[in-house]
Amino acid sequence: MKDINRKDMNDLRWLYWMAGIAGLFLTAGLAVSVGVVAIPETETMAVLASMLGLSAEMGIPQGHYDIIWELRMPRVILAALAGAGLALCGTVMQALVQNPLAEPYILGVASGASLGAVVVIMLGGSAFLAGMGVSAGAFAGAVAATVIVVLLAGREQSAAAVRLILAGAVVSALFSALANLVVYLANDAEGMRSAAFWTMGSLAGARWDNLWLPGMAVLAGGVFFALRLRELNAMLLGEETAITLGVDLTHERRKYLVLTALLTGIIVSACGIFGFVGLIVPHGVRMLWGADHRRVLPGVMLAGAIFLMLVDMLCRVLLPSGELPIGIVTALVGAPLFMRLLFRADGGLRC
Amino acid sequence: MLKGAYMLDLEVKALSFSLRGKEILQDISLSVKRGEFVGIIGPNGSGKSTLLKHVYRVQQPQRGEIVLLGRRLSDMTLAESAQEMAVVGQFHTVAFDFSVYDMVMMGRIPQQRHGGRITRQDKVAVERALQLVGMDAMAKRRFHSLSGGEQQRVVMARALAQEPRFLLLDEPTNHLDIRYQMQLLELAAGLGIGVLAVLHDLNLAAMYCKRLYVLKDGQLIAAGEPQKILTSKLVYQVYGVPCEILQGKQNRPVIVFGREALAI
Repeated sequence: MKDINRKDMNDLRWLYWMAGIAGLFLTAGLAVSVGVVAIPETETMAVLASMLGLSAEMGIPQGHYDIIWELRMPRVILAALAGAGLALCGTVMQALVQNPLAEPYILGVASGASLGAVVVIMLGGSAFLAGMGVSAGAFAGAVAATVIVVLLAGREQSAAAVRLILAGAVVSALFSALANLVVYLANDAEGMRSAAFWTMGSLAGARWDNLWLPGMAVLAGGVFFALRLRELNAMLLGEETAITLGVDLTHERRKYLVLTALLTGIIVSACGIFGFVGLIVPHGVRMLWGADHRRVLPGVMLAGAIFLMLVDMLCRVLLPSGELPIGIVTALVGAPLFMRLLFRADGGLRC
Repeated sequence: MLKGAYMLDLEVKALSFSLRGKEILQDISLSVKRGEFVGIIGPNGSGKSTLLKHVYRVQQPQRGEIVLLGRRLSDMTLAESAQEMAVVGQFHTVAFDFSVYDMVMMGRIPQQRHGGRITRQDKVAVERALQLVGMDAMAKRRFHSLSGGEQQRVVMARALAQEPRFLLLDEPTNHLDIRYQMQLLELAAGLGIGVLAVLHDLNLAAMYCKRLYVLKDGQLIAAGEPQKILTSKLVYQVYGVPCEILQGKQNRPVIVFGREALAI
């Protein structure tokens, strides 16, 4: 009897995952078919079907075809990648420093990236490297900030988590101040505007030919951490308990730190800074499914991808003209959703 | 490894440790025979926990060595020693909330491969461990919603799920009432594996330990069977409090502290 019950439960879990994956594709389909230019769903379907090699499209205007396949599709994919990647980084970072308040930017990646981006924008270097100047600057800044944090945190084993958080806070403050100083001294209204927009995040830069880097990074990160579910679980129990379970955190922590910083840096350089996804998606998933990384890790990647695709869709359609920065909408949508989870009748925050 | 190829479950040889010029442990040697329940007693700051931390490998020995089940700890990887030895520590807070079941499943980490797929064997071990500590009905509860005592029993279950061949108890009974204190020690004693326990309660120590080591200021000052070494003189020397030692059943020493005794 007991066995039968357990089997039922496993089957149900399997259904959950299937539903999640179906949700991912449905959301992607929805996000592709929505935008400033109204394109009939039938046309969207036809374009997608033809790209999958199912049938040749007929009678679809080239303009619509381009909008769907060259603009919306890469953008939706970038949203999914960034959402999955940031949620993954947030989850790992929370385990890494054993602190529920941790998020991907806690070790200075974001302020490092914005310093890099701001410097490039203000020096008028946006056009360099085939228009990738800002991204390159942001990535360099992110790496620089992370290197400084890791060096500051040092080799000392005791209180490593606290030292990391403090080092991250200090470096963040320093880099933000420097970025502000650059903006202030440059006194360039146009540059200021684009710097402000950059820091609020946007997925508008997505093209098929710049998707491969975030794509590979998220895939590699996902695979790497999927092979380390035990270690991540042990981390949540703290340094000493992890050792008694055969997991050496000092060794692992350094690797995870570098990898999450790289992944976050790549995502930030591709689409600017938007917080919150890396904080609330892991918590939301934990509240629903518990803290075991076997469920949390695939859960946050799915949920992060779906969440950011939806948010980006809203960014594109909320204003009749132009679009909203994604950083604003993630918080506007995410905060109420999170409050709802937080003040659920049956529980609340699992951290 | 051949069974019976070694005589001692645990052997600590001439272990010394100093921190910033202060000697925390001085030349400590002790042993746990096969299947023996051995206790360490001593006042706060005597080095008990540091000693145990060396055994469960949070501290590296500066001098001396530790042999677990016939193999030098320094020759074993952390994963290997975790497959042999489980630790029930002083209570640790956990920043993230796990279900009781998931928490106990953590005990299977040393036996699992990369990726941590849960096997049928893992499930059996976890359910058995939960039953042993009487928490099977609470498997779905969240760890943070439990009382301190219940949490400690879950931590014990996690150690049992490791299916260890040696058990370390580091003041495991801190948060438990007397019934659960005895239950936990009874459980540990009934496993038939070697146990090394740091205990605060001298009466419990006398009740469960075959042999005791007495630690003070980082030095071993007495060792032996409780009825032989637990004297009011020793207790006064170690803890600085007077007491009476009565004789309980089976020659077991019963230590009675009292304010009237303080006047002596």
